[in-house]
Amino acid sequence: MLAFAFVQRALVAAVLVGCAAPAIGTFLVQRRLSLMGDGIGHVALTGVALGFLLGTAPVLTAIVVAIAGAVAIELVREKGSTSGDVALALLFYGGIAGGVLLIGLSPGGSNATLVGYLFGSLSSVSPADLAVIVVLSVAVLGVVAVFGRELFAVCQDEEVARVQGLPVRFLNLLVAVTAAVTVTVAMRVVGLLLVSALMVVPVAAAQQLTRSFRSTLLLACGVGVLASVSGLVLAFYADVAPGASTVVLALGAFAVLSLLGRTRSPA
Amino acid sequence: MSVFDLQGGCVDLGGREVLHDVSVRVDEGEFVAVLGANGSGKTTLVRTLVGLVPLRRGSLTVFDVPLARFRQWPRLGYVPQRLQAGGGVPCTVREVVASGRTGRGSRFRRMGRDDWAAVDHALEDVGMADRARRAVTDLSGGQQQRVLIARALAGEPEVLVLDEPTAGVDADSQDTLAGALGHLSQAGGSVVLVAHELGPLQGLIRRAVVVSEGRIVSDGPPPEPEGHHADPTHVHTHAHESAAPPARPTLRIT
Repeated sequence: MLAFAFVQRALVAAVLVGCAAPAIGTFLVQRRLSLMGDGIGHVALTGVALGFLLGTAPVLTAIVVAIAGAVAIELVREKGSTSGDVALALLFYGGIAGGVLLIGLSPGGSNATLVGYLFGSLSSVSPADLAVIVVLSVAVLGVVAVFGRELFAVCQDEEVARVQGLPVRFLNLLVAVTAAVTVTVAMRVVGLLLVSALMVVPVAAAQQLTRSFRSTLLLACGVGVLASVSGLVLAFYADVAPGASTVVLALGAFAVLSLLGRTRSPA
Repeated sequence: MSVFDLQGGCVDLGGREVLHDVSVRVDEGEFVAVLGANGSGKTTLVRTLVGLVPLRRGSLTVFDVPLARFRQWPRLGYVPQRLQAGGGVPCTVREVVASGRTGRGSRFRRMGRDDWAAVDHALEDVGMADRARRAVTDLSGGQQQRVLIARALAGEPEVLVLDEPTAGVDADSQDTLAGALGHLSQAGGSVVLVAHELGPLQGLIRRAVVVSEGRIVSDGPPPEPEGHHADPTHVHTHAHESAAPPARPTLRIT
C-alpha cells in the first residue's frame, strides 16, 4: 500500500494528527471539557460547506469558522452563566444544520460531499492539504511545548492561576483556538464527527496506567499515533472510513490498558 | 507597609451587593483570621483582596500599589476553598505543587534547581514529601488540602491568603497546616485566612476580623475561648463596637 502517493501522504498526516490531537486533548480532559472538540467539529462542518459554496478551499473556511466557534464556546464558558450548556447546544446543532444547508445551496454539492469530511477519507489528502496539516500540527505541538506549564496551571485551577498573575483569558483562548486548529487538521484523517474521539480516547486510555500528567500526555500521544496509523492501514485493506477504524482501535487500546491497569494496581 | 488596604469597598455578586462599604487594612507580618457565618461575605472579602472579584466602589492597594497597576503577583499566595486538588487527568502531588512556581520568570524558562528546591521545601513543610510521586486523587481530603497549601507555599509568597483551609480536614492535617503557617509567619510573612473554626490555628491568630451580612462588625484581638465556649472549635464573638442591629447582640459562629 505504501506504493501509493496518497497513502504516503495520509500516513504522514495520521502520525502528526495522532500525536497533536491527544496532546491538546489532555488539557481539555484535565479541565473537564472533553466534548469541546466535538462541539468545534460540528461548527467546523459549516465552515467546510461554506468553502464549497464560495468555491474556496474547505480547509481554510473550516479553520476560520472553527476558530470563531471555539472562541464563542470559550466566551460562553467564561461567562459561566447557567444557560451556557444550552448556548453550547445551540452552537453544535447550528453548526451541523448550517453545514447541510450550505452544502445544499452550493453548486454540485450534496450531502455525499460532506461524508468524507464527517468520517475522514483516506484518498482525499491532497499535497496542499498535507502541507497545511504539517504546518498546523507542528504549531499545535509547539503551543503545547511552549505554553505547557502555564496551560497546566490554568487547567488545574483557573482562580489560582489568576492570582499567580498568569494571562488566564489569553491562555483559555489559546486552548480553544489550538483545539479548533487540531479539529480542522484531523478532519481529513478521522472526520469531524470523530475528531473529538482522537482528542479524548487516547487520554482516557493512557490514564488507566499513569499517575502523572506528563506521562499521561506522552502515552496518550503514543496511543494516538498507534491508533491513527493502524486505523489507516485497516481502512486501506478493509475499505472502510479511516475515522471509524482509528476510533475503534483507540477504544480497543482503552479496553486493553484498563485491563492492564486493573491487574497492575494493588488496590 | 501594608499588604492589603481596602477602603470603602462595595462588591456586587449576581446583581446583589454582598459587601457594603468595607474597609480593612492588613500590614506586613500580620496573622489575620476572617470570621463569620455562612453567607456573611467573608469569602467574597478575601477574593476581593486577591483581585478575583472586582470592586464596584472603593479602592484597593496590594503592597501599596493600586490593584489595577499591581504586577508583582509572585508575592501573593492564594489557597481557594476546594474539596479536591485534581482535574480530569491524573497528576502527581509534585506536579500540582510545582505548578505553584508557574508565572515566575520567563515563559521559556524551564524549572531550575531553585524551583525544585522550593517545591521540595513546600512538600516537607506540609508533611507530604514522602508522597510526592503519588497521584493526588489517591489522597484523603485533608492530604489534598495540604497539597493545595504546598502549591501556594512553593511560590514563596510574602502573604498567604487561605479560604477555609481547615474545613473538613482531619486533625492531623490541621496540626500540620498550623505548623506550616507558623513557619511562614515566623519568617516575616503575612497570613489572611477565612475560618469557620479555628482549631489548632487559635494560638497563631493575632487579629480577628468578623464579617456579618457584608459588613465588618468587629476587628481586634481574637475571641478568647472561655466557659462553655472553651471548645476551640467554637468561636463566640460579641459584636461590641459593631453596627449590627440590636436584635442580634451576638454573632455565633459554629
